[in-house]
Amino acid sequence: MSEQISGEPDKESGRGILQDVGAGVFLILISLFFLWQAWDLPRGSLRAMGAGMLPMSIAVILGAGGVLLVIMSLVKGGERLTTPHVRGLFFVLGGLILFGLTVRWLGLIVAGPLSMMFASFATADVRPVEAAIFAVVMTAFCIGLFKFLLGLPIPIITFI
Amino acid sequence: MDIFSNLAMGFGVAFTLQNLFLCFLGCMIGTLVGVLPGVGPVATIAMLLPITFGLDPTGALIMLAGIYYGAQYGGSTTAILVNIPGEATAVVTTLDGHQMAKQGRAGVALGVAALGSFFAGCVATIFIAALGAPLTRFAQLFGPAEYFSLMVMGLVFSTVLARGSILKALLMVFLGLLLATVGTDLETGQERVTLGIQQLSDGVDFAPLAMGIFGFAEIIRNLENPEARDVVRSKIGNLLPNWSEIKQSIKPVLRGTAIGSILGILPGNGAVLGPFASYAMEKKLAKDPSRFGKGAIEGVAGPESANNAGAQTAFIPLLTLGIPPNAVMALMVGAMTIHGIIPGPQVMTKNPELFWGMIASMWIGNAMLVIINLPLVGIWVKLLKVPYRLMFPAILIFCSIGIYSINNSIQDVYFTAFFALVGYIMIKLGFEPAPMLLGFVLGKLMEEKLRQALILSRGSFTTFIERPVSATLLAVALIMLVIALLPAMSKKRDQAFQE
Repeated sequence: MSEQISGEPDKESGRGILQDVGAGVFLILISLFFLWQAWDLPRGSLRAMGAGMLPMSIAVILGAGGVLLVIMSLVKGGERLTTPHVRGLFFVLGGLILFGLTVRWLGLIVAGPLSMMFASFATADVRPVEAAIFAVVMTAFCIGLFKFLLGLPIPIITFI
Repeated sequence: MDIFSNLAMGFGVAFTLQNLFLCFLGCMIGTLVGVLPGVGPVATIAMLLPITFGLDPTGALIMLAGIYYGAQYGGSTTAILVNIPGEATAVVTTLDGHQMAKQGRAGVALGVAALGSFFAGCVATIFIAALGAPLTRFAQLFGPAEYFSLMVMGLVFSTVLARGSILKALLMVFLGLLLATVGTDLETGQERVTLGIQQLSDGVDFAPLAMGIFGFAEIIRNLENPEARDVVRSKIGNLLPNWSEIKQSIKPVLRGTAIGSILGILPGNGAVLGPFASYAMEKKLAKDPSRFGKGAIEGVAGPESANNAGAQTAFIPLLTLGIPPNAVMALMVGAMTIHGIIPGPQVMTKNPELFWGMIASMWIGNAMLVIINLPLVGIWVKLLKVPYRLMFPAILIFCSIGIYSINNSIQDVYFTAFFALVGYIMIKLGFEPAPMLLGFVLGKLMEEKLRQALILSRGSFTTFIERPVSATLLAVALIMLVIALLPAMSKKRDQAFQE
C-alpha cells in the first residue's frame, strides 16, 4: 500500500512550488484514490445510507477543497515548498522497516541494535562507535524491561 | 452529599498500593516525556498501551492519565530552562519563564509554575467531580442528532484552535473522517477501501496512525530543524517564591484556573487555548504591561495554571459523553475499549470505581508532581543535556517495540512507517495533523449517529435544526467559524499563535 500513495505526492516536493498548490494536489490525489476505490460500493439513499455514501461524499468535499487551495494559492501566492530532509526520511523510516523485517526472523537481539544503528545515520553528527555502544546498551535495557519485567511476547533470539 | 461519598470511594480506590504506584509511575513517565522536547504524550501513550494490557482497567487508566497531566508539568520545566516548549501548551511559558531564568530566578519560575499547577489541578478535580454527575444525566437525554451536532461542534473548534489556515485545518478534519471510513461498514458488512488487505477490514488502526504522525514524522522534522538548546547555565536558585511574589501570583493563578477549566471542557481541544487566553488576560489587566516578555511572574503563574486545569477538565467530555476532545483522550478511548469499557455516560453508573478512582487519582497525582518536579529538577536538567543524536534512536526503538507489541503484528510496523511518511509530507505541505487525528477518532461514531438520525427522520436533514439542543450546538459551531474567519479576528488569531 505504501508505494501506491507515497510515490505520488513526492513529485510536488521540488523547489519553488507554492506550498498550498502542493497541499491541494495532495488532497486531490487522495480524493481521487478514494473515489476510485469506493466507486462500486452501493450509495443508497439518505433514508438508508449505503456503504459508499460517506466515503464518496467526503472524498468529493476533500477534492473540492484541494482545488480551492490550488486556486487560492495561485491567486494569492504564499509560502514555497522547502526541500525535504531525504537523509532523515531514509534512515529513520529505514530503521523502522529494518526492525519489522528482522524482529521475528532474528529476534530483538539483532533487530534492536541493527535498526538503531541504521537510524543513527539520519543526522550528520553521527558518531558510529558511540551509536553502536548505545544501541547495544539500549537493546539490553529494552529486553530487560519489555520481556522480563512486563512479559510482552516479543521474540528475543530466534536463530539459535 | 453525593459528591463527597463518591470522592471518598474514589480515594479508597486510588489509595491502594498498586494504584498509588501506577499513578506515580505515570507521573514520572509523563514528566520525562514532558521535559524532553520532541517526545509528546500521544506517542508515549500509544507506545505504552501494550504495557497496560496486564493491568486492571482502573490502574491502566490511572497510569495513562498520569502520563498526560505529568507531561503538562514537565513541559513547563523545559519551557523555563531551555526556552523550548516541551509540550505545545507550554509555548506561552517560554515568554516570561525563560526570561526569569535568565535573570537567575529559574527556581522561582519553576516553583510558581508547579504550585499554580497544583492549585489548578485541585480545583479542576473538584470541578470534574461536581460536573460529572449532572453532565452525565444531561448526556443521557442526547439522541443521535444531538451527538452528531456536538461532534460537529468539537471538530469545528479543533480547526479554529489549530495553527495556520482554517481552510487547511478543516480539510484535515475531512481527511480524518475519510480515513475513518476505511474498513468494514458497520451496517451492511461491506468492505470499504480496504485494498484487499485483511488487517484493514477492521479499519485503520489508531496506534500506527498516531505513532507514525506524532512519533516518527516528528523525529524527522526535529532532525531537519535542529533546535538550539540554550540550557540556562546560571543557578536555579531558590525554588520557593517569597511573600511578595506569592501575592503577585495569587490572582493570576485564580483567573488562569477558571479560564483553563472552562476552556478545557470544550470538545475540540479547548485546553490548548487556555494558556494563551490567560496570558492575554494578565497582560491586559496588568498595571504595567511592558513588563511582560521580560520576566513577569504573572505571565508564568496564569498560563501554567490554565494549562493544567484545562488538561484535567478535558477528561469531562470523554467521561461523560464518550467524546474524546483531543488525541490523547482518543488513546484513552482505545485503552478503555481494550479493557471492555465503552466510554460514555454509562461509565459512571456501570463502573463507578473507575470513574471516581480516576478522578481521585488526579488529585494524588498532582500532589506527587509537585514533588517530582521541584526537588528533582536537577535530574531533569541533566536529562536535557542528552544530545538528540542519542535520543532519537532510543525513541525509535521504544516506539518500534511498542507498536509491534500492541497486536504482535509486523504489519503494524510497516503501517507506522507509511503513516510517518504521509505525516512528514503533511508537515511539509503546512498541514496541522491534530485536526485530522480528531476527525479520524470521531469518524466512526459520527457516521453511526448520522445514519441513525437520518433513519429516524426518514432521510431529512432538517432534524438537526428542528431539535433545539442540536440546533444550538450547530449554531455555536457556525458562529465560531464565522468569527474566526472574520478578517479582524483572523489577524488576532495569527498574533496569538505567533506569540
